[in-house]
Amino acid sequence: DSSFAPAHDDAAPPGATLPLREALLRLQTHFGIDILFEETALDRQEVPRDAFDAKQSVEQNLTTLLHATGLQFRKIKHNTFLIKELPAGDTLLAPHRPLFGAPVPNEDTAADKEPTALSETYAISGRVTDVRGMPLPGVNVWEKGTTNGTVTNREGRCSLPVSEGAVLVFSAVGFRPQEVRVANRASVDIALRENVLALNEVVVVGYGAQRKEDVTGVVETVEVQSFNQGAIVTPDQLISGKVAGVQITQNSGEPGGQTSVRIRGGTSINASNEPLYVIDGVPIDNAPFNPRGFTAGRNPLNALNPADIESFTVLKDASATAIYGSRGANGVILITTKKGHAGEDVRVHYDGWVSAATLARGASVLNAEQFSHLIREQAPERAPFIGTAATDWSRAIYQTAWGQNHALSLTGGGKHSGYRASVGFMDQNGILKTSRTQRTSVSLGLREDLLNDQLRLDLHLKGAYAYDWFAPLTAIGHAARFNPTQPVYDADSPWSGFYEEANDLAPKNPVAELALTRDQGQQYRSIGNLQLDYQLPWLTGLSAKLNVGYDLQNGDRKRLLPTTLRSQYTTHGEIRVADVTRTNKVLDTYLTYRRAFEAFQSTVEMTGGYSYQDFRNVYPEYLGFDFSSTLQNELGFDNPRYVRQTEHVTTVLANRLIAFFGRMNYTWKDRYLMTVTVRRDGSSRFGRSHRWGTFPSAAVGWRVNNEPFLAQATWLSTLKLRLGWGVTGNQDIPDYRFLPTYMPGDGRTQVQFGDEFVSTLRPNGYDPNLKWEATRSVNLGLEYGFWQNRLSGAVELYHKKTDDLLFEVAVPAGANLSNLILTNIGTVENRGLEFSLNSKVVARQRATWEVGLVAAYNHNQVLRLAGSVDPDFQGYPTGLIFGGTGNTVQILREGEPVNAFFVFRHKLDANGNPLPDGVDHNGDGVLNPADLYQDLNGDGLVNEQDRAPFHAPAPQMLYGLTSGGTVGPFDWSVTLRAQTGNYVYNNGASYAALSRITTEITPTNLPTSYAATQFLVPQYFSDRFVERASFVRLDNLTVGCNPLSRSELVQLRVYATAQNLFVLTPYSGPDPEIGNISGKTEEMRYGIDDALYPRARTFLLGIHLSF
Amino acid sequence: CTDLDLEPQSSLTSDNAFASPDAYQAFLARVYAGLSVSGQQGPSGDPDIKGIDEGFSNYLRQYWKAQELTTDEAVIGWSDAGLSDYHDHDWTAANQFITALYNRVFYQISISNEFLQETTDEKLDSRAVGEPLRTQIRRFRAEARFLRALSYWHALDLFGPVPFYTETHPHGEAPDQASRQDVFAFVERELLAIEADLYAPRQGPYGRADRAAAWTLLAKLYLNAEVYTGQPRYGDCRVVCEQILGAGVYALTPVYLHLFRADNHTSPEIIFPITFDGLHTQTFGGMTFLTHAAVGGRMDAADYGIDGGWWGLRTTRALVERFPGGSATADGRATFYTDGQTLEIDALSDFTQGYALPKFTNRTAAGAAGSHATFPDTDFPFFRLADVYLMYAEAVVRGGGGDRVRALAYVNQLRERAYGTTEGTLTEADLTLAFLLDERSRELYWEGQRRTDLIRFGQFTTHGRWPWKGGVKEGKPTEAFRELFPLPASELLANPKLIQNPHY
Repeated sequence: DSSFAPAHDDAAPPGATLPLREALLRLQTHFGIDILFEETALDRQEVPRDAFDAKQSVEQNLTTLLHATGLQFRKIKHNTFLIKELPAGDTLLAPHRPLFGAPVPNEDTAADKEPTALSETYAISGRVTDVRGMPLPGVNVWEKGTTNGTVTNREGRCSLPVSEGAVLVFSAVGFRPQEVRVANRASVDIALRENVLALNEVVVVGYGAQRKEDVTGVVETVEVQSFNQGAIVTPDQLISGKVAGVQITQNSGEPGGQTSVRIRGGTSINASNEPLYVIDGVPIDNAPFNPRGFTAGRNPLNALNPADIESFTVLKDASATAIYGSRGANGVILITTKKGHAGEDVRVHYDGWVSAATLARGASVLNAEQFSHLIREQAPERAPFIGTAATDWSRAIYQTAWGQNHALSLTGGGKHSGYRASVGFMDQNGILKTSRTQRTSVSLGLREDLLNDQLRLDLHLKGAYAYDWFAPLTAIGHAARFNPTQPVYDADSPWSGFYEEANDLAPKNPVAELALTRDQGQQYRSIGNLQLDYQLPWLTGLSAKLNVGYDLQNGDRKRLLPTTLRSQYTTHGEIRVADVTRTNKVLDTYLTYRRAFEAFQSTVEMTGGYSYQDFRNVYPEYLGFDFSSTLQNELGFDNPRYVRQTEHVTTVLANRLIAFFGRMNYTWKDRYLMTVTVRRDGSSRFGRSHRWGTFPSAAVGWRVNNEPFLAQATWLSTLKLRLGWGVTGNQDIPDYRFLPTYMPGDGRTQVQFGDEFVSTLRPNGYDPNLKWEATRSVNLGLEYGFWQNRLSGAVELYHKKTDDLLFEVAVPAGANLSNLILTNIGTVENRGLEFSLNSKVVARQRATWEVGLVAAYNHNQVLRLAGSVDPDFQGYPTGLIFGGTGNTVQILREGEPVNAFFVFRHKLDANGNPLPDGVDHNGDGVLNPADLYQDLNGDGLVNEQDRAPFHAPAPQMLYGLTSGGTVGPFDWSVTLRAQTGNYVYNNGASYAALSRITTEITPTNLPTSYAATQFLVPQYFSDRFVERASFVRLDNLTVGCNPLSRSELVQLRVYATAQNLFVLTPYSGPDPEIGNISGKTEEMRYGIDDALYPRARTFLLGIHLSF
Repeated sequence: CTDLDLEPQSSLTSDNAFASPDAYQAFLARVYAGLSVSGQQGPSGDPDIKGIDEGFSNYLRQYWKAQELTTDEAVIGWSDAGLSDYHDHDWTAANQFITALYNRVFYQISISNEFLQETTDEKLDSRAVGEPLRTQIRRFRAEARFLRALSYWHALDLFGPVPFYTETHPHGEAPDQASRQDVFAFVERELLAIEADLYAPRQGPYGRADRAAAWTLLAKLYLNAEVYTGQPRYGDCRVVCEQILGAGVYALTPVYLHLFRADNHTSPEIIFPITFDGLHTQTFGGMTFLTHAAVGGRMDAADYGIDGGWWGLRTTRALVERFPGGSATADGRATFYTDGQTLEIDALSDFTQGYALPKFTNRTAAGAAGSHATFPDTDFPFFRLADVYLMYAEAVVRGGGGDRVRALAYVNQLRERAYGTTEGTLTEADLTLAFLLDERSRELYWEGQRRTDLIRFGQFTTHGRWPWKGGVKEGKPTEAFRELFPLPASELLANPKLIQNPHY
């Protein structure tokens, strides 16, 4: 082969060789490419020292180098090549004899390298699987010290003639090699542990991918094998508790309900605090938004089937997120779906589970006997309100909720292509009767290498149809307050035969609410994109990328409230239909140039491009009310015959983002790293003079373990120091807020001019100077790994300061056309420390045990709210509570955490209990707040000015503990999650007072916690009701088994999972973990426990089947 | 592609909003609607004022509460934080109801200004607005100025020295504070200036402000001038009242209670109403609040044409006893509901304590129910002839000139309507200030006048006692500075130029 002719005149003497590893590294540096290989595969390989030819392409050089090694290469992406051993069937396992020159014996194993005589052999068969029992095809198996070897077949099986007392070596790319002494056995079954760290791991970052070891930002990836298992509807839940500093809170126990995700604390107040989601390169619009609040689905992310997800990559610091500019401030979550790869065999996978969920802990209220006793004792004149029934309203509204999930996928690949197709169906009932969610999903992924691998094409198409049944959540509060001595049904009742109170303002029968309300939403969503990656022929290392994608949603929400529903006493029936069409189009195009400068021991990668994203959302809404019929069966959504009044409103919202971005990565001596990014971002949400913003970032890294002075420290596998700085933005606010606009009034806000009713036209408030929030952040990180990374992790220290806070602030009378205007004011700070640890405690053939721990501290503080502050100014009230209109219990104030609770200090008695009300404790002859509460400002009065900040809802510490392992065919995993320093306002308890029995128009039931306070009237603002809500929750416990591990054709794993098995907490309410209960991302109601849909305890049985 | 200009599609930009000639009337209607509704979606939705439950943000509801709950005419039983401050006379600058009232008053001034800014000659020229629309717009402008003057009157009455700005004030800037005297002078000047452009009394469509509305406002300004500026203007008050009376187009509604019924738009007595309609003008404030909140206990909501009581508003014994014979009075204006109610109030939160007072109902004079059981058709009689009669009498008695005999005749007309006989007829000697204060309460109770009247008569704070005044059952004197409400704390933060009223 002429290409092996020496290329250099100064070549080493013919026959000189060098280790293949070294040759590959040389190639890597020269061409500025990544070569992924598994160390052991290269161990004994030597290649001619002169085999390298700089004039040839990478591919040609690799071909040359690997020609005789039993190895082949595959280009897995631009500039990245994977070296692997030849698959079965090819001419492989030729003796590892260098073709050129004589073999250079390895000093240690020189003796072993002599061919072994085959006379004393016998055949041994083996089967190789991964730790979950999935068969591993293509695993190299050879007799140690010989060239005698083979490769496992599709079922992971192989057979090999071996000599007595032989040691078999099993190795495969991505797995840790294992040696097994044959010891006269006829068969050997082993499970290989993944050894991902041995590979030069590649992580996706914004607009590209990087070698993990070169990354200077805080980028954490959670892959499919680490996902939480269980009845998971919303993809976010897959990584709950897995990433340090990422708080994932289900806002309620509603099936598929909304989640609040906070990456390193919240940065904003009135703009969204949710991260940006990018699914296979498509940034998606994830707000469950409807301008009139009637959203079609519960959580837009539900359109993604969790079974299709391969990995989550969380970008946490500005060095990583600044490439997303005005959308990076809350962090970015990149979701990558599963793919098929070239050369893979066709495989079919089926995953299925059935689950049963029950109420974990609900509100505890007085039973019928306790309730009637209280009335007889405290308000005997109200005895007529005591009924003859004994109804447990809580039992009446909750159920054991069944769920099922099925996911079927097909993967495979051709010579230059890979494909994956999947279908999924999920049906999950909620524990609150009538709530339910269903999803049918399909996905198709196609990867094709064209033009001799110069052009890569990736196509992702995902579609889902979600159907949601919404239960009226008011039923939960009503169940807690409804008179327990009254029956569910009353044959004489005009309200469809349900017992209802006479008074219109009394709680409504919750069972009737559930039974009579028909409230359903359906949503079609499709996300898709086509990515082209073309390696330009005229300059090595230069490639052009194009990403064209879309995210379409089309759905509706329909609700029918019949006239016979108690709450319809004013509107006499209501049909509400809200349609939604959301169109999101994205186009990214960018160039990447990667080049190594060998002379300077440097590698440079530069990326620059343009991004365009356009959102257009149309929300037509129809409202029909005042029915002429009380017959609910005759009424349908499409039967307007009975509707006497109607209204139609259509809202159209649109916004557009345009950006130019660039990034440079520089690596020197494979030890010193630098990344600089800049993004210039424009958004239609801001006025012309504030439309464009620049978001820079810079970071440096030092791979300490690559320093020569640590070359001998074999115990040290990773030690990297990182320092990053950057500016990111937040533009997630409503559209058109910078523009003077006029809003027409509807048909019910008309004004009478003579005999005519005139519709109105209102000028809206606006701020022409609106601009982004800018978050400046600094991150100092240390990554570590010891003993082949059996113990690894990272410590991160960060500081984030958000200026120009988007906040709906009180403006001076006369300055604008509303009292509150969204504007840029104030500064919020988040400081924190994150720690992660992964440990492979046991890594044996038949038993493994891994432990992962994440812990994060975050401190959040409002630094500034306005330019000049009145010393008496209390701050901006937030945190609406239940009970009394417009009461709030939180505050935004300088120097305090965001949404600090704002309460009175309750005076305590000698036993530490709060003083009861209705007693003139201070003996001044009047009953007033001074009897109960401390005069904090010392002015002799107790009034609003004596309320003070008292703790906050955000946790100070977040912990996640994951552990898992295998013993023989069994595997297990557990996820524990904990928070400390978080407080909750127990609205369910603060509402309780004797006045609910004695003076409420209709006596209502009380929580059992009333016994502890016995207040006469509600003391909403007592610090008594701000409770410590630290907790430890056993999120997930899974036990699995692979009973058919000996089967050739079928792989089967069965497992059982329990979710939310227990919560340990000092909090007295049902659940200490309270997300944002407002239902809107732009409006925060955190840490207020107000009749939440309780979380369920779920038990699940599942199987995984593949063949 | 770098185009980032996206035109709003479901709202209008100021450029295209005025493409339709109807826009001017729609915009003016919105300024009127500022008094009656709370946002652009009825009965609630897309609110004008944020930071408070939308139903509470309604102009009339908040104005009414500030004017009535602080007095002997009304108590409310709800437990909303800050609401009982009105009875207790211990409100602070942080009080959310006072804040909402302030925001509403200045919101009204702001949109009136915006209307005037968008209808200048230059703007109309630039949009090529021709006759006859231009003539119409001239009248619209006069009405917008009337509505602005009305709100500035409320501002100076409730808050004293307030931020002052007109249509020339630049967007985004905090205005300066004006003294009470300056605001007074502005309101007076404006009302005199717009007179010619307004409809003649009762010549315009019902609901629109005409010259008599402007005059009535002027009369109220003059009547209270001594409180507002230190300079009495009783003579001017009397003269303006004579102007209204001289127009000869108003007459008392024969039956007093018909003024507060679902068809009161037919009344010849109402000079300026805030209009409501069950189907077209819906809100949870306004008359919805006044009709529902007054019903509870054993009352049957259907009797009042509504779908349920809100168990809130009652009255104190002070008002009951102002009628000779108390609840058994022969005065037909008394509408006390006593069945199951006690006269005394031991607990404000108990609806059955204190007599209920269903003055406003959603049934017509003939007894028919209004068009919607939640949202009454009943209009709020903001200015009416009987008030002008009493203002005339008071101006005369306070030395504003005029004719005592004529004053007595006006008062006696009200008395005769009240009694249905001459049983209540007065002699000239009875026409004292003390009598007039009481008579105003008997005639105008729950019509949003009481606080202003009590202050004018020096009975609001250091003098005057009624149940639960100052937060004690028997009532107690309160501090004089409470005659002005504080500027809201949020406003002081937003506008550092403002100086808070004394003692807050």
